[in-house]
Amino acid sequence: MNTLHTVRLTVNGTAAEVMVEARKTLADALREDLGLTGTHLGCEHGVCGACTVLFDGNPVRSCLLFAVQAAGHEVGTIEGLARGDELHPVQRAFSEFHGLQCGFCTPGMILATVDLLEHTPQPSEDEIKEALGGNICRCTGYQKIIESVQGAAAAMASGLAK
Amino acid sequence: MSANEGWIGRRVQRREDLPLIQGKGRFAADLTMPDMVHMAVLRSPHAHARLLGVDTSKARELPGVFDVLTSADLDGIGEFPVLWQLPGQKASGIPVLARDKVRYVGEPVAAVVAVSRYVAEDALELIEADYDPLPTVVDVESALKAGAPVINEAWGDNVAIRHIVPGIDATGKAGDIDGAFAAADAVVKARFKINRFSGVPLETRGLVASHDPLTHGLTLWSSSQVAHKQRTQLASVLGVPESSIRVMTPNLGGGFGVKWDCYPEDALVCLFSQRLQRPVKWIEDRREHLMGTVHAREQVQELEAAVARDGTILGIRGKIWADLGAHIHSVGIGPAWVTGVSLTGQYRIKNYYCEVIGVATNKVPSSTFRGFGGPEATFATERLIEKAARAVGLDPAEVRRKNFIQPDEFPWFSAGGGVFDSGNYPAALEKALEEVDYDHLREEQAGLRAKGVYRGIGIGCYIHTSGFGPSFILGLVGYNTSGYEGSSIKVDPQGGITIYTGMIPLGQGTETTLAQVAADQFGVDFNDVRVVWGDTSQTPYTGFGSAGSRSNVAAAAILKAAEVVRDKSIRIGAHLLEAAPEDVVYENGGVQVKGSPEKRLTLGDVAKAAYLAHNLPKGELPTLEGTYVYDPAMFTIAFGCHVAVVDVDLETGEVKIVRYVVVDDSGTIINPLLVEGQIQGGVAMGLGGALLEEFVYDENGQLLTTSFMDYLLPSIHEVPHMELHQQVTVSPHTPGGFKGMGEAGMFSPGAALANAVSDALLPFGVEVDRMPITSNLVWSLLPKS
Amino acid sequence: MKPPSFAYEAPEALDDALALLDRHGDDAKVLAGGQSLVPLLNFRLARPARLIDINGVPGLASISERDGTISIGAMTRQRTIETSPLVASRAPLLAAATRWIGHPPIRTRGTIGGSLAHNDPSGEYPAVLLALDAQVRIRSQRGERVLGIDAFLGEWLSTALGPDELVIAVEIPIGSKHATYGFAEVAKRHGDFALAGVAARFTLDGSHIGDARIVAFGGVARATRLTAAEDAIRGRVPNETLFGEANRAATAAIDPISDLHATGEYRRHLTGVLVVRALRQAFGEA
Repeated sequence: MNTLHTVRLTVNGTAAEVMVEARKTLADALREDLGLTGTHLGCEHGVCGACTVLFDGNPVRSCLLFAVQAAGHEVGTIEGLARGDELHPVQRAFSEFHGLQCGFCTPGMILATVDLLEHTPQPSEDEIKEALGGNICRCTGYQKIIESVQGAAAAMASGLAK
Repeated sequence: MSANEGWIGRRVQRREDLPLIQGKGRFAADLTMPDMVHMAVLRSPHAHARLLGVDTSKARELPGVFDVLTSADLDGIGEFPVLWQLPGQKASGIPVLARDKVRYVGEPVAAVVAVSRYVAEDALELIEADYDPLPTVVDVESALKAGAPVINEAWGDNVAIRHIVPGIDATGKAGDIDGAFAAADAVVKARFKINRFSGVPLETRGLVASHDPLTHGLTLWSSSQVAHKQRTQLASVLGVPESSIRVMTPNLGGGFGVKWDCYPEDALVCLFSQRLQRPVKWIEDRREHLMGTVHAREQVQELEAAVARDGTILGIRGKIWADLGAHIHSVGIGPAWVTGVSLTGQYRIKNYYCEVIGVATNKVPSSTFRGFGGPEATFATERLIEKAARAVGLDPAEVRRKNFIQPDEFPWFSAGGGVFDSGNYPAALEKALEEVDYDHLREEQAGLRAKGVYRGIGIGCYIHTSGFGPSFILGLVGYNTSGYEGSSIKVDPQGGITIYTGMIPLGQGTETTLAQVAADQFGVDFNDVRVVWGDTSQTPYTGFGSAGSRSNVAAAAILKAAEVVRDKSIRIGAHLLEAAPEDVVYENGGVQVKGSPEKRLTLGDVAKAAYLAHNLPKGELPTLEGTYVYDPAMFTIAFGCHVAVVDVDLETGEVKIVRYVVVDDSGTIINPLLVEGQIQGGVAMGLGGALLEEFVYDENGQLLTTSFMDYLLPSIHEVPHMELHQQVTVSPHTPGGFKGMGEAGMFSPGAALANAVSDALLPFGVEVDRMPITSNLVWSLLPKS
Repeated sequence: MKPPSFAYEAPEALDDALALLDRHGDDAKVLAGGQSLVPLLNFRLARPARLIDINGVPGLASISERDGTISIGAMTRQRTIETSPLVASRAPLLAAATRWIGHPPIRTRGTIGGSLAHNDPSGEYPAVLLALDAQVRIRSQRGERVLGIDAFLGEWLSTALGPDELVIAVEIPIGSKHATYGFAEVAKRHGDFALAGVAARFTLDGSHIGDARIVAFGGVARATRLTAAEDAIRGRVPNETLFGEANRAATAAIDPISDLHATGEYRRHLTGVLVVRALRQAFGEA
């Protein structure tokens, strides 16, 4: 039963290969086999959103996918967002507007925001809430997260941030 | 920005953020070590049962399993102590693994270590534990009934303590509670039910223990809020010298109090690591967290207030039953005691009497959580005030005005025995009422009702006893811990400043905040101050470390330690400048002779000389560092006022928050950006408890809320926009005038919401006296027609 | 919270998937979107010996219109349905209800076939598809069959699906142009399973209500047609008095359970209120 599967996938634009049991979640494979511990596990049953990654460009719960399912797919994690030392505007905005405290929900929050702004560059407050409704933050009370998303949208629109 | 402008008070962006926004934070779950193995814990499925035996043989045979422990293997291993031992409180402890009996669903029964967490969980399924179920008690009412099953047999019954708080004045003389009630024009009575909920940080608890062959000691990476305290307790449980243990804390994904306590797993990972001579990791999963990490808050309160016709509250008396869970945890009865001494709130209520009864039930033990008994009191007091106002036909705001302790009455000695340092309670209320436009809201309320809009306005004033507290007072109430924080400051030979704090950051921005404080003390750039935390081998002992409300105490320790270092700089600098020390001052990052700015040395110059020690004043020791341990002189009392405006849907009972105004006064503000974050986060957590969160048990003691689909945290949809206003009344006791503020937001949401919903439904006589205020609850309170 | 071991198959053709189901159906589970199944695995509440992952099976994820029917492949993601112009114009009730399912990352993975096969009694899709009188296309090595949704849905997470069978598509009749709908639910938080919900579709016959399909979900054993409420309004002119009758008929007919989230009594009351709200959505505040 505990057969190992060889899984070839693309992570943050780079080819990767892991040998995993079928039952290993994508989140665990990213964290343990690829050392990408920025993907956090807050509930392991798909409610909290801390483990959100981009799967073929769309936000998904990596605790609800098995690593074997990622074969041939592209996975984007928080570690792949900055270009070298150049932070993504969403990352910058979360710091500038104090959209994080403990930082545990932050990678999922940021990736969900990146996806939102890609499709909706100037989101309304309701659209922000809809996009981030599945990401629980226990520290901030969300107000500064909303401000961070709005700040990032403004920065990206004004082209201040390339 | 020039350093001269001062760093305290500035909206400095946090230095903590850079790794966290890139996924480069290092949380306990992220730690890995060579040869590391993984622990999983078998937990009781029964609320109350004799544990007849545990057969681990099949689990041991599973490939990949290294070791299994049951209580039979724990000879010589102690129990974690109950730290708060009020006089008269029955003896209790926190066992590492259940022996003979289990007392709540989730209690650890056995533990396994295996090559991966997956295999460790496979092994748990192979352990055969034999239980003989016993009758259970799941609430205080049934626990107190004659003939109720006794959970802790040595106690004789389920009562941990009956503690009486007699109302006293400043001289310790008792008030006249019976007289107050005899003289009352009206008496309002209520039975309040505070729900069982807790901090539930997004990061669960996590540990990595590793036996160090070089030192024969043990290193524990721990998501603890209080590393030094954890080390002290671990040493006593494991029976090893405290010096042989080093506790380190990585990034913490929130704590909110629940990571203050010590838990069985803390000892288990250490034991396994000693036995196996390998690093052992345990990461609590969410199900375990909900059934294995302390719960909090649950109380039944029967209270009454004596009211005069003019709105004066003449007295409050009553009883509080605290649902402690299966045994007394680290601070077990403490939060209920805090409730019991706090029910007079910020009001000049001189006649008071409260009885606090701690009761055991077959549930997860109850202990520390942001607010620590205070929000429970705030709910009751603010509901009583509201009821009192209705009883004598006055506006609730008016009754608060009538009873507030006035700004010129400090220090105030509360009837519960507290000493309040400073405050301006009327100003906070007036500001909140002005911002929300209270008079206008009242005017439009009747018109809206005629249109079928049931709008309610609810006030929740709060005081928050922060900087807990002077050590000698903790001693007086049997709290076997201390209130001080230590800080060391080292200036290195290049003049670089490093501060060492025993405080454990939980995500609030402690590092940024403390660096701001130190930067001002040395007149240097904030970025030139390093902060070292989270390592018992480097940082000064911290007595308390509940970081949420402790920035004041830690900041004060830094102020004082900086003074030590500055004084030494002046002595050495004066010697080098050939001036008398009294003619030399510390200014702008260096020392100079008064009136002769050209006669000046930078801190770096002084540090270099201090370390070379070629030419020091007579009797001066080399190097440049200072330590100070600050034990607070007195509690600091932060305060404020929330106003909630809600619309209640009569058809569904749903409550929509239309506006939420917060006025907070936490003394001197170090970083407004971070204070806003703390207050907003606290309000959101308070709203969670007010509207959604509750640990629910069935009649057999089965915990029903074992997932995030059942234990409901507020999402971005449920938390309204908060209109936050800050006022500043400094504390006369703390150097710097700081007060704590990390918990403050938590106090009032329950009261404000309950008052607002009751206000909206006033035409129906609905009184919301419990939480969470679900749509089902509201609907059930409405008359059926 | 790590899943137990299982064997994993990822067929790349429908026939292969069906062959695997034929061989292992009794102790296998089909892995579609996984948004309900994987939490159950992580909690070790489900322990299939084998997972048959059909995400790599081509041809199951299209939305098309033919002969007055919208056909939606079983592996069509909820997100795709939510944003499909065809669904919006031909089955707007389905589009509206989809937005109530979980949150965007859930809908990115969750599939319509998976939702149906899981048949959570608090789920939106079984109820909406019942209101829309959908047909479920099912295939196995034994052949293909089409079941009416009502016959497909069983009680408490059960369905008429045999262990060797796979839902391959859902077919929704477009029906009359003169149709209108209502969808309303109350959940504790946005995105949670409904405490109670109502999905309803109506046709108009001049100023009268023609056909009515009103479905309650949440706290009941399965998505349930409120036939008494339907009968009360069929052929009548929509107005508040009539809506009140529908409310009373609905609450009299339904008997939801109590659990930690809500009492049965409250759910029953809510169902009546939501019937009225769905009617108002459909016909305006008449």
